[in-house]
Amino acid sequence: MNTRLAPVPTSAVALDPALATALERAQAQVNQVVLGKSAPVRLAFACILAGGHLLIEDLPGVGKTTLAHALAATLDLSFQRVQFTSDMLPSDIIGVSVYERESGAFRFHPGPLFAQLVLADEINRATPKTQSALLEAMAEQQITVDGATRRLPSPFFVVATQNPVELAGTYPLPDSQLDRFMLRIGLDYPDPAAERALLAASDRRELLAQLRPCLTGAQVLQLRAATAAVLASPALIDYVQALLAASRAHAQIRVGLSPRAGLALLSAARACAVLAGRGYCVPEDVQAVFPGAAAHRLIPAASSNASRDDLAADLLARVPVRP
Amino acid sequence: MRPAAPALSPLQFRLTAAGVLAAVLPHLAHLPWLISGLVLALIALRWLQRGRGGKRLPAWVKLPLVLLFPVLIVLHYGNLFGREPGSALACAMLALKLLETENRRDARAAICFSAFVLMSALLFDTGLAITLVLCCVLVVLFAALRALESPRTQLAADVRTAAFALVGALPLAMCVFVFFPRLASPLWGAPSDTTARTGLGERMAPGTMQELLIDDSPAFRVVFDGTPPRRQDLYWRGPVLWYFDGSAWSRPEWLAAPRDDGEVRVLGPRIGYEVTLQPSARHWLLALDVPLGAPAGAVRGADMSLVSRARVDDPTRYRMVSAPAYELEPTLNPLHRRVALQLPPGFDPQARALAQRWHDEFNGNANLIIRAALDQFHEKFTYTLNAPLLGRNSVDDFLFDTQRGFCEHYASAFTFLMRAAGIPARVVTGYQGGYFNRLGAYWVVRQSDAHAWSEVWLEGHGWVRVDPTAAVSPQRVQIGAGAAAGASAPWYQARWLMEWRNRLDLVNQLWNDAIVQFNALRQQSLLTPFGINQADYPQLMAAMVLAASVLLGLFAWWVLRASPRAGDRLDSAYQLLRRKLARAGASPDATDGPLTLAARMALLLPGDAAVQRALAAYVGLRYACALPAPEQIRTFARSVRALRLPVAT
Repeated sequence: MNTRLAPVPTSAVALDPALATALERAQAQVNQVVLGKSAPVRLAFACILAGGHLLIEDLPGVGKTTLAHALAATLDLSFQRVQFTSDMLPSDIIGVSVYERESGAFRFHPGPLFAQLVLADEINRATPKTQSALLEAMAEQQITVDGATRRLPSPFFVVATQNPVELAGTYPLPDSQLDRFMLRIGLDYPDPAAERALLAASDRRELLAQLRPCLTGAQVLQLRAATAAVLASPALIDYVQALLAASRAHAQIRVGLSPRAGLALLSAARACAVLAGRGYCVPEDVQAVFPGAAAHRLIPAASSNASRDDLAADLLARVPVRP
Repeated sequence: MRPAAPALSPLQFRLTAAGVLAAVLPHLAHLPWLISGLVLALIALRWLQRGRGGKRLPAWVKLPLVLLFPVLIVLHYGNLFGREPGSALACAMLALKLLETENRRDARAAICFSAFVLMSALLFDTGLAITLVLCCVLVVLFAALRALESPRTQLAADVRTAAFALVGALPLAMCVFVFFPRLASPLWGAPSDTTARTGLGERMAPGTMQELLIDDSPAFRVVFDGTPPRRQDLYWRGPVLWYFDGSAWSRPEWLAAPRDDGEVRVLGPRIGYEVTLQPSARHWLLALDVPLGAPAGAVRGADMSLVSRARVDDPTRYRMVSAPAYELEPTLNPLHRRVALQLPPGFDPQARALAQRWHDEFNGNANLIIRAALDQFHEKFTYTLNAPLLGRNSVDDFLFDTQRGFCEHYASAFTFLMRAAGIPARVVTGYQGGYFNRLGAYWVVRQSDAHAWSEVWLEGHGWVRVDPTAAVSPQRVQIGAGAAAGASAPWYQARWLMEWRNRLDLVNQLWNDAIVQFNALRQQSLLTPFGINQADYPQLMAAMVLAASVLLGLFAWWVLRASPRAGDRLDSAYQLLRRKLARAGASPDATDGPLTLAARMALLLPGDAAVQRALAAYVGLRYACALPAPEQIRTFARSVRALRLPVAT
């Protein structure tokens, strides 16, 4: 996408060249493992840069977990994977306080959430109780157990995967909790060429084992600072507002986008600009992240049989870019 | 005591001074040179003095000046009242006002007074050109007024706003122009000036016509009912001159007595036409030779010249019927014969001798004598506008010495010779020819077409026109004085220039017809279709207020309709860019951002860097900065306007 773009003016905020190279390499490495999915990979990185959490939703077997693992291996972060099941309790992910006879006191044993990158696999298999524990931790960046508040590490990034909500044996995430994820991406079946390469190549797990970390936690924090500094001009904010307003006025949408959704959209668009090497947002950034940022937050009207993705696409097609 | 008003900024002062200067300029044409010079000098000195940060002028400088001007004006004009002295006084006082213009209140007064002085220029001339000049000056005055509102305005913005205000006021002015109750007289009841204008005089001395022949202003315009006569037959009859005193030809007053139509026998068809005479400040009316009857308010003299009872001070229109083929005065009145043979004693002995010789040689045969005289002219004489000066015996000098001259020399000499040979003869002055204006389908006759010819009385034929100039230079009659003069023709009588002047003449004619001649009658005819048959003043005022309200309402709607973003020049420039891209085949959708378009154009026109630069510049201005600088926006808009893209098929 960015290879054909016009030479736009370089921004005031320029990334440190080393950082930019590292970011490029990280993306390239993930793309080597997850073949033919550069757009979702890009969104995943945008999510990391914007400081949000990522929800990957698709059918089993299209590479959700592989993407999550590739991200984990590429980022030099402490990593924990949690496979959610229906009999899981909140303490299984948060951690428990155990009585220690020697000291005569309770000592907290941190759960898998105390990691910088948490892969929450098949999040909709867990019961709502466990889900809420995870989502609260994601929102607060801290956990309170037995009256003591413990901060989660920074950066703290959750990649959750889930099967489409229609499948049996799942507890679909309620709309309010979907809102905790900045972006929701799908992977879909690979295109024929990518699928052929996938079939011909060696096992993905071996490939994953060969991956080298490219971005340190400190670098991720630097990238996040750069993202926050990206300029969103009044014209761009006009455009974001117009999208929000259109979602609230749309006949087939029962509940439109919240101000928090707008903030998430703008942050993700800023991250997108950083990924393109720009210090300012353009409408194309917003358009690139809008389906991922908005679709899972839209609640269709009862009378509508359009999917959330269709509604998001329809909103993009309705709202003109200035002028 | 009130606090001192804030002083004018340099721009404010300069604009006010420029307005004052511009308001005085149209008057310079008629101001005496002393007053013109003083006024201009005052403005220039004040400009310099203020530019160097000079102090307020003390009263002992200003007071003598205030007294000096009225004295000068009274000395020059004789009094302080009337059109010329009044406007001269106004110009002088305006320049003096500038001397004491220090704050906004002074400047406003100076500008308002400038507008009044400017308006008074219309008392001298109501032509289109001066009106356009006045509009330009008004822009300067408006710009000055606007600059007074804020010390931080920019000249270009002031002028733009002023021009916009002027254009915006036009519909309102037209509305008032149409509906304002007016008297049954032309636009300005301006007193006519008494100074002589160029035009045919009642005397003809050698050289008097020279001024006319280089004056290209229109004398009158003619619309023929049917096919016009050939150009060389267009002899427009003016004053007929009988009396020669040795140096000049003139017309005895008693010949103005009207006579009945019986003296003219019409031999051919009659030609109807309409003449619009330009103001001449004289009583003459012009008509094609020979007029049948006189228009209302005029009489036809015994010599077939038309004299209006009222002086022609305004453009005058009349219908005429003429007979190109005629027999005039078949039996010559004895009184006329005596006058037509009169010669001043003691002048031009050589010419008398020559005529006597011809008379003896041809046995008094008039035809042969005329032939001999014309042959002589044809063989030895040269037509030129640069005629040498003649001495006391002007006819002798011309016939035997200089032999160079134009119509009046030939007419004068020929008539003299005829009289000396015993043939009754007289000089006819008027105009010859004219230019057909194809655009307006009318003929315009200019002052430079002024002409003089002779009439001789022949037994059995009456008065017969003989044009000795045609014997010397047939082109003079066929193509006009300027062309016939050849190398001596002024440069501005070139053919291509005449074409353009014909066009200009049409515009002036339309202006004159539509604006200056708009009177109560025309106003009424404009209102009749709307059911107002006898408009009285209250009705006219009501119509004016109504029309003005509608116009102002429309204007207000137009101003308020604009959305807050309509003024965004960056948006409008980008919209233009998108239209250009659409023509180039990019089919931009409303949801396409600039980078999307750039990518599309890179595919459509891979080598075109200008498009990419323009789109990148837009992205830079719109998204890469919070508040784009106006000059950058202007640069962008210019580059978009200059952008040329191939049109997609």
